[in-house]
Amino acid sequence: MLKTIACFKWVIDDADIRIDAGTRKLVLDRAGYKISAYDRNAIEEAVLLQEKHGGTVCAVTVAPSSAKACLKDALSRGPDNACYINDPSFADLAPAQTVSILAAGIKAGIEFDLIICGEGSGDLYTQQVGPALAETLGIPCITYVNKLTYSESDRRITAERKLEDGIEVVSAALPALVTILPDINTPRIPTLKQVLGAAKKPALNVTLDSLGPAGDPCLKTVGIQAAVMDRKKIRFAADAEGIRAAVGALLKEVAIA
Amino acid sequence: MAGIWVFAESREHTRELLGAGRELADRMGTTLGVFAQGASASKEYIACGADEVFVLPVLGEDEPLEACVPVLADAVSAGDPDVIFIGATARGKTIAARLASRLKTGLCSCCSGFVYDEGDKLLRMERMVYGGAGIQTVVCETRPQMATIAPRTFAPAPEQEGRSGKVSELPVVPESGVKVLDRLPRQRGAVDVTRAKAIVCVGRGVEKAEDITLARDLADVLGAEVACSRPIAEELQWLPEDVYLGISGKRVKPELYVGVGVSGQIQHVTGIRDSRVIFAINRDENAPIFEAADFGIVGDLYQVVPKLIDEFKAALKA
Repeated sequence: MLKTIACFKWVIDDADIRIDAGTRKLVLDRAGYKISAYDRNAIEEAVLLQEKHGGTVCAVTVAPSSAKACLKDALSRGPDNACYINDPSFADLAPAQTVSILAAGIKAGIEFDLIICGEGSGDLYTQQVGPALAETLGIPCITYVNKLTYSESDRRITAERKLEDGIEVVSAALPALVTILPDINTPRIPTLKQVLGAAKKPALNVTLDSLGPAGDPCLKTVGIQAAVMDRKKIRFAADAEGIRAAVGALLKEVAIA
Repeated sequence: MAGIWVFAESREHTRELLGAGRELADRMGTTLGVFAQGASASKEYIACGADEVFVLPVLGEDEPLEACVPVLADAVSAGDPDVIFIGATARGKTIAARLASRLKTGLCSCCSGFVYDEGDKLLRMERMVYGGAGIQTVVCETRPQMATIAPRTFAPAPEQEGRSGKVSELPVVPESGVKVLDRLPRQRGAVDVTRAKAIVCVGRGVEKAEDITLARDLADVLGAEVACSRPIAEELQWLPEDVYLGISGKRVKPELYVGVGVSGQIQHVTGIRDSRVIFAINRDENAPIFEAADFGIVGDLYQVVPKLIDEFKAALKA
């Protein structure tokens, strides 16, 4: 039996982010939400391990109470159940807070052998929660994994880490935590049956009252500004004349050797 | 005790953090400490501005670098530095996150720059969020203030003659729960896109691996290197991973960037933001790359690129 937790975050869809050039503000209020891209790989990897070795998969998230739609989305991707650790105040948590809440939620009632996280979230991309969670839980941590295998006989995992200087093949006894890279798998697209079935799967609702306070943020956000880029944005037609004009304009701007 | 402490995997990266750290230490009126892997780098680091070198013991063959986290944490608890900068490589980011968690302090991931506030003695640290669409400013209200810093963010500290510093050795690293079974060094490609003057970048609009020749032909005319977006390297593996551009790949600043069938996801645009001129060819007129481009042609790249090659050839010959 392999009991796996796949952690995921419900994030703003960055394709929906608009920039107000005048105020240099990001316009987020009309943006949709989705499961952070790399966390879909985390869920998929947990489900792939289950298909091979049996056991269970629990999808866990820390989210504001308005994010309930994330459960159906996550569960349609294969996990047996979900754990929704939520509070209205969980909107803009610092990494240290997410970690302490996640650790408290897991300790309070989710049994696990393996925790899988994405390499980083699509919104803030601090890449801290995975390794910091392992540290808090006191379990081995293997980051930036693009190949993962589990050996039932000795209950160990072997992982290939993709690092700047090459591949590092490592092994650890369970329980352990891994953070994975998006090239480890291709997340399946849920079928209609899976989407409908997701609503019937159990989801544990964990609130702040049962966990205690979220802890010190340590890191305070002073502000977020839009990254603006001044570009000419001149378009040329795709016909012979347009292409000639584009080449002329480019050669005027850039010296080509 | 106080001070600015730095740690990075490579000597080059360590020298960059020493450069940033030295300047900050002088402004804060404090000292600069550095962690070194093995004693051999001590002299160089002192010449580059360090006042104190903490030498990590040599790790066992099967120990990952992250095994040193407990020893780093003990050293920090004993020395109580004000600020810690760690090189934002994969291992460095992991070490920093675990260390910050142990020390119960805040960490600014991939800090791209900072301003020191004399008033509250805190760093206003900047970093990119939402794939590069936003810049977040953070302060770390707990001690030590921590940040990871990517390679080439700061200029390396020059060596100076006549500097002196203290060297101390850290205790043996306890055995970690993760064992290294094998290390396969990366096959480095011949191309370093970060140094290219001009880049032709291939995106998902290119339909087959063979069609990359079209981009290569254009690159040859322009004296450019061929790069690509993340999926072309990672999912399709049509080009090596060291030529994909983006927030998690290479960040480039060529004189000219030509996007061929690149849609312009923000994560990609972040990697090409510093290009002087951006030119895009894409069949989708709503592709976000056109918002990030100086010049654009909306059209089928299979029609446009061959004509473009002919036009460049003709214009450059004249």
